[in-house]
Amino acid sequence: MLIRPDREDLRIIVHALGRIFTVVAVASCVPLTWAVLGREWHPFASFLLMIGLFAFLGQVGLHYRPRVERLDWSHGMVVVALTWLAVPAIGSIPFIFSGHYGSPLDAMFDAMSGLTTTGLALVQDLDHLAPSLNFWRHLLHFLGGQGIVIAALVLFAGGGGLTLYYGEARDERILPSVRSTARFIWTVALVHLVAGVVVLGLVAHQVLGFDWKRAFFHALMIFFAGFDTGGFAPQSTSLGYYHSAAFELAAAVMMVAGAMSFGLHFALWRGPRRAVFKNLETRTILATFAATMVLTIIGLGATGVYGSVRGLTRQGFFQILSAHSGTGFSTVPAAELAAWGGLAFGGMTLAMAFGGMGSSTAGGVKALRIGLTVKAITNQIKQVLLPEGAVMKTQYYQSGRKRLTADLAQSAMTVSLLYVALFLLGTGVGLIYGYGLQGAMFESVSAGASVGLSVGITEPAMPVLLKLTYMFQMWAGRLEFVAVFALLGFAYAWVRGK
Amino acid sequence: MVRRAKVSVLTIAALVVLGPASALAQEAEVVPASELLERSEAFDGEMLTLEGELVGDYGFRGDGYVWVQLNDDSYARRAIVDGGARTGSNIGVGARMPTVLSDGLDPAGGYRLEGPRVWLTGTWRHHDPERGGESYLDVVDLVVIQDGRRLQEGPDWAVFAAGTLLILVAVGMWLRRVRLAESPE
Repeated sequence: MLIRPDREDLRIIVHALGRIFTVVAVASCVPLTWAVLGREWHPFASFLLMIGLFAFLGQVGLHYRPRVERLDWSHGMVVVALTWLAVPAIGSIPFIFSGHYGSPLDAMFDAMSGLTTTGLALVQDLDHLAPSLNFWRHLLHFLGGQGIVIAALVLFAGGGGLTLYYGEARDERILPSVRSTARFIWTVALVHLVAGVVVLGLVAHQVLGFDWKRAFFHALMIFFAGFDTGGFAPQSTSLGYYHSAAFELAAAVMMVAGAMSFGLHFALWRGPRRAVFKNLETRTILATFAATMVLTIIGLGATGVYGSVRGLTRQGFFQILSAHSGTGFSTVPAAELAAWGGLAFGGMTLAMAFGGMGSSTAGGVKALRIGLTVKAITNQIKQVLLPEGAVMKTQYYQSGRKRLTADLAQSAMTVSLLYVALFLLGTGVGLIYGYGLQGAMFESVSAGASVGLSVGITEPAMPVLLKLTYMFQMWAGRLEFVAVFALLGFAYAWVRGK
Repeated sequence: MVRRAKVSVLTIAALVVLGPASALAQEAEVVPASELLERSEAFDGEMLTLEGELVGDYGFRGDGYVWVQLNDDSYARRAIVDGGARTGSNIGVGARMPTVLSDGLDPAGGYRLEGPRVWLTGTWRHHDPERGGESYLDVVDLVVIQDGRRLQEGPDWAVFAAGTLLILVAVGMWLRRVRLAESPE
């Protein structure tokens, strides 16, 4: 029998949301301060409204204290799913009032794209946007990439940490407690923030010749978007704006760091470094990166898009790294990317779909699932060849020897198939609106795998239903489905339960 | 010192090149940036003139060249903050020009800043093998057709008031909660 959630369930959820909104209200004071320092009074007012709404809703939530603090699995998942809908909705307020968006939906599209670290954008006249608003776009990447719910876990004590942690698509607990793991994740981010901004800022000043202030502005924006594998950029031409291999290289280092799992960061910081290369996940991502890189380079070489080996490798390498890490930076215009047909298109689309590592800021199916799926399929084939009744036990290495159980293999395959279904959904809607198969598929995979590369379909004039579809893809893809299904189940139980 | 001497030599060299370049500029075809991006390869090696607003940053590379972006879209004529209509994304191309051409230019366009509107004449480099496959306009001549200017954008008082009110209510609720938590009952 389906049990209908009661008032106590609602109090638990509303209370947890109250905590998270309060944390986001505090974090939103950073762009507000930026607006004050830059004397940008128009954005300042809209930041004030956004903070006011977050703070008000936060206090309303905290007012509804549950009788017992028991945030169980389903509550936690519902909280995470609702957080990732509410924060983009309220976080879009400064965009709505900026005048740079065609509608509130477009503004929410960008906020959702920012928070889910996708990077597809509907902003208009980006090159004249206020720096504080540009900062807010990129800060959304940082909040979403590191996990806003995780931030709440660091700042607030309270039960239910584990379920909230897993709800945000983190499947690896690095340290014994969830709170210490959350702290570690934010420490890694802050250390990279300092190092990344210094390196990118120095390159922008010394190599690109920007003045110090602008150099560090660009450095901060590109760090947020690179390390959080987001893909927004402060100028309309993305990374192509800089016309510099050195700057692209510095950004590429951030992208690689962002696509690495926090478990891998932990191993590199404190653990035995050699073991890292034994991990199934590391080996899988190196293999898929090499395969998609080769495909793309052969494809580009065959069509003769770039007349030189240097051009071919630099442009091919950067685009494929951007696609595979789920970042979405581009050094070529959308129209040119759209013309990459054949193998190059296949390589790019596959790279986007594969994505980065689990428990990282990247999206996509993720390397560990691909590795496990391949291992499981290989096992099935071997099993057929073995004598009847023979039992085969398979192990894999991932921070220690582990057994590949049937449940684990099934779980990896199910999520992989859900991603395929998600990609097909966006492709189908794109086709209905008359876009070509190649473009519709590219854009759909880009949205569902939180990448952000575009062949030009994502633009303010695109159909509303397609915008909504891409937003759903970003949301479901970033949360890796579980929290989304929990929310749908909760809503269904609310209506049909007894 | 060595770097300065190198820049001076390059500047003199640029001036020698730029003299006849102005005459070339008058002959060059004016191409919209949207068309150039659409058919980039077809324009490879052609001498073109682009019209638009210089935006973003002037990147002085120290090699005698400065890099800048030229936007040729409706916002180059009137930015949104100045009351311009929303017409989609920006349309622009990168441009490399001798540093000497940037002398006296107003700041490039940005927030509350309309950059100088210019004609840039130069050779379109499509996937330049020398520069790792980048595409850009290799500028030899620049004509300012309108100086840059500062734009105004004041606060939205209604939004300001609504935000302030919500924050005050939230602070009031928080203080009440703290007081209740501290009370002996």
